[in-house]
Amino acid sequence: MESVQFIDLTTTSTVALFLVGFVGGMVSGFIGSGGAFVLTPAMMTMGVPAIVAVASNMAHKFPKALVGAYKRNKYGQVDVKLGVVMGIFAEVGVIIGKHVMVHIRETFGTVGTNLYVSFVFVVVLAIVGGLVLRDGMAEKRGLAETQKPPTNELTPLARWVRSIRVPGTMLHVKIIDAHVSFLVLIPLGIATGMLAATIAVGGFIGVPSMMYFIGLPALMASATELVIAFVMGLGGSILYALDGSVDIRLSMIILAGSLFGIQIGAIGTTYVKDYVVKFVMAAIMLLVLASRFFYIPGYLSDLRLIPALEKGTIKTLNAVGDGTLGFALLFGAVMILQALYRGIREHRQTTEAMETATLTPALASVGLVGQLSPFGRFERFLLASDGSEFSAAAVREGTNMAKRCGSHMHVMSLVASGAEYGGLGESILKQEIAMASAHLDDIKGQAGAAGVACETHVVHGQVVDREILSMAEKLTADLIVMGRRGRRGLARMMLGQATANVIGRANCNVLVVPRAAHIEGRHIVLATDGSRYADAAALTAGELARRCNTPVTVVSVVNPEDAAGRRADTEQIVNRVVKHLANEGVKVEGRVLEGRADACIIEVAQEKNADLIVVGSHGRTGLERILVGSTTERILNGTSCAVFVVKGG
Amino acid sequence: MPNLRSGSRVSHRTLISTLVFGAASVALYLALFVFSNDLTEMASLVRQGHKGYVAVPILIALVFSFIHGAFTSHFWDMMGLKARK
Repeated sequence: MESVQFIDLTTTSTVALFLVGFVGGMVSGFIGSGGAFVLTPAMMTMGVPAIVAVASNMAHKFPKALVGAYKRNKYGQVDVKLGVVMGIFAEVGVIIGKHVMVHIRETFGTVGTNLYVSFVFVVVLAIVGGLVLRDGMAEKRGLAETQKPPTNELTPLARWVRSIRVPGTMLHVKIIDAHVSFLVLIPLGIATGMLAATIAVGGFIGVPSMMYFIGLPALMASATELVIAFVMGLGGSILYALDGSVDIRLSMIILAGSLFGIQIGAIGTTYVKDYVVKFVMAAIMLLVLASRFFYIPGYLSDLRLIPALEKGTIKTLNAVGDGTLGFALLFGAVMILQALYRGIREHRQTTEAMETATLTPALASVGLVGQLSPFGRFERFLLASDGSEFSAAAVREGTNMAKRCGSHMHVMSLVASGAEYGGLGESILKQEIAMASAHLDDIKGQAGAAGVACETHVVHGQVVDREILSMAEKLTADLIVMGRRGRRGLARMMLGQATANVIGRANCNVLVVPRAAHIEGRHIVLATDGSRYADAAALTAGELARRCNTPVTVVSVVNPEDAAGRRADTEQIVNRVVKHLANEGVKVEGRVLEGRADACIIEVAQEKNADLIVVGSHGRTGLERILVGSTTERILNGTSCAVFVVKGG
Repeated sequence: MPNLRSGSRVSHRTLISTLVFGAASVALYLALFVFSNDLTEMASLVRQGHKGYVAVPILIALVFSFIHGAFTSHFWDMMGLKARK
């Protein structure tokens, strides 16, 4: 048996590996597929044995898949159970694939595995590259699938697969609410794993198989594939590491470049037309294929499977192969960077024009650049909706409130993009944008019917709260309206992290509308502790009560342990607020209670059948919020009525 | 329908996160080069039957990915590189 040789790490090889990783990452982000089909051959060109190239590639990929799967699970795009089951079967495929590789190495030496990997590359890249090129050409002529509006129709194959019923083998795929026999998943998983173990790109089989055999939407298939990639990547890396084939130094240098490149590539796709992405993808694949093709005669000659070639001939062929691969990498890098540069330049011009247009009316009407509005200005609302049942109430109540206040409503929806969405692919991203646009158009229609002026915004980003805050700032919004809870997992159990972050960091008021809330102007509960934040809340509550002719109960809570000392002060605070609201013409009563603030406020809201609680926010975030705690957050977690958080002071 | 991206101002939080993760990332890579020979040696020890060293590359992959991934994400965020459609 021939032992595995690791290459020496010189300055040149380190820089070359970093650059290869960078370009591989860019390509991977740009074309929405694993970059291993670039990385593995490039490493082999640098003299890394095929088995080490594949093993080291796997080791750099699985943690990226874990992070990507975790992030996309937060958006409800991942079916963890399906991913794990497919991943386990893929692991079997990895074991088989790895044994094939080891067997070839033991029988024919490193040159045998080099030939095997190169051959599989040529075949797979010819098929996939050809299909992508065909798609790109069809798309340019306007005939492609992706030009059609997104549809939920199942393929006949998926319908047949879902109709199979084998008792004891049925698996509930929760994300699409369908039952699939895991017997179907065995060949799909094994094929995915075998390809991954051979060329480190399992996604070429994993994603299409989940789409066409199971009927998973493309977005969910690509997200669930990340779970498979993690499970089989981890298992595969351990298997190869047990064989001593993982050169972790190479993996980490590749990773260093790849993580920088992937974001550029993923963002680059958003600046070019779909078919351009496909042409670039096909061109790179076919160039890589061609480069591998030039090495094959040398390998065949070494193994004496063809008449021995002269050393000079092999050297020339290898040099042509190296040159072709170098050209493929350079071509990919130039195309992507050029697309990005042009896009950013155009975007800057558009953004500058928009910012001027947005700021001017705000300055003219208010005389303030800032958006702080503790005194109840309700001119510009920002409604954030993800299209889920959790934001439906926010949409309804936001529209109603905008109607009552005569406000201009801006509605935004976030389309996930970023490095961990590199696997999305252009057509999938396009579907997401189309779905978000359709949802926003619905809301615009509803708003129009209610006589509310409405603008819609599809925003690209990774972190929901950051994008909401950024948009609120850009629009100088007076109020952000949003739902309370996240879509999945732990977020269902508690206040959604995004909502908590928006409340903590927004400069304007925030209206949080739980799923079951209906704001009908029945009763407002105003919580006060005498702070300047609570005073700002009192002013806003007064404005709302006046506009909607709604009675108000002012509540202040004292801690039972120091009740005696503080009760008199608290009563004074409540009386001051009650007097102010009464002067404003609001029907108002005051209450001083003993106990835990959030529990008492929620109790009064229930007793009064209130539909709105108004609180002032101290704006604590991060560690401070964890240490000090947030009454506002606890109220939000415990009540089913809407909560108006006033940011003031 | 306009498509927007977030503002280009760099918050202190982003700057600090970038610097912290950047420093951690540099430290990790320095360690990788300093212990480069030991890592190669470990792989050959695994081949000789010392399978306990298998955990080392796996742990290295996880730690580097989280730290360097956080750094690059903050880095591009700081540079204002954002998607658009």
